[in-house]
Amino acid sequence: MNRDKNLPLTETTYYILLALMEPAHGYHIMQKVEELSKQQVKLAAGTLYGGIENLMKQKLIQPVQSEDIRRKVYVITEKGKEILQLDFDRMEHLIEITKKYIKEI
Amino acid sequence: MGDNVRKLRCYINYDKEEQWLNDMAQKGYELEDVCIGYKFHSVDCENTIIKIDYRTFLKKSDFIDYCTLFEDSGWTHIAGSKNSGTQYFKKIDGNSDDDIFSDKVSKSGKYKRLSDMWLGIGVAYLPLYSVLISTGAIDANSIFHPKLLYLTPGLWEKTGADFLGAFLFETPFALMRGFSWSIILLVIILAFCFALKANKLYKKGIK
Repeated sequence: MNRDKNLPLTETTYYILLALMEPAHGYHIMQKVEELSKQQVKLAAGTLYGGIENLMKQKLIQPVQSEDIRRKVYVITEKGKEILQLDFDRMEHLIEITKKYIKEI
Repeated sequence: MGDNVRKLRCYINYDKEEQWLNDMAQKGYELEDVCIGYKFHSVDCENTIIKIDYRTFLKKSDFIDYCTLFEDSGWTHIAGSKNSGTQYFKKIDGNSDDDIFSDKVSKSGKYKRLSDMWLGIGVAYLPLYSVLISTGAIDANSIFHPKLLYLTPGLWEKTGADFLGAFLFETPFALMRGFSWSIILLVIILAFCFALKANKLYKKGIK
C-alpha cells in the first residue's frame, strides 16, 4: 500500500498547517499554535522559521500578499489541505482501532 | 559612558560561543557588533541571554521578516547581517522561553547550514585549483621543490655575484608565488575541515 511519504506529520507540522488554514504571519502562527494546543506546543522563533521554510519547499504552504512589509504572510495550499486530510484520516483510524483493542480507553 | 572592548576569537562550536558571550555579559560586557573580532560595550544589567543562529538570506526582505519574527517573540537581533551568516540574538522579553529553538533538530540545523556553506567553498575552489595546476599556472611540485618557484631561466647555473643578484631579485616574487599557490590549497583544506567539524556537531545534536 502506498502511503504519502509526508505521513505521518509531526505534531508541530500538523499544528502549523492547521493554523494556516487562514493567512497568518510568523508570530501570529506562534500564538495560534500555542492556543490551539492549549499551551502544549510552544514554538520558538528559530524553530518556526525553519519549519516555515520546509513547508514552503514542500509546497504545503505559500506566501500571500501582505500589507505589512516587515512581516511575510503565509497560507495553506491545496496540497497542504490534502496532506492534512490524509493525516487526519490516519489518526481517526488509529483512534478507532485503539478503542477496540484497549477496552479501558 | 561605557567603554569598548574588542576581542578576537574563532568559533565553530556555537554552544561554546554562546557560553563565552553569556559569560562576558555576566562580567558586564554586552556584545555590540561582530566584524573581524567581537566588539563589546559595558552594561549595567546582568542576566543577559544571548543565542546564536546561522542563516544567510537572498533578499533583504527575507532578512527583515526573519528579524521581525524574533523581535515579535522577544528576541532582539544584536549582531549579524543578511550575508554574514551568524546571527546573534538577545532575550528582551521576560516571558519568552530561554532559547530561540524549541527542539533538537532545528537547534542543530544551524550546524548543517554552516557545514553546507563550507562544503560549497571547498567544492568551488577545488576545480579552480585543479585548472590552475593542469594549465601549468601553478606547479604543485613547488611545495616539495622550492627551487621551482624561481622562473628565471638558467638561474641555478649562474655563479658568484651574477647568481646572487638574480636570486635576490627574484626571491620576493618567488615567495609571493609560493605563498599565493599554497594559500588556495590551504583554503580548500580548511574549508573541508570546517565542513566536517560542523557536520559532526550537527550529527551530535540530533541524537
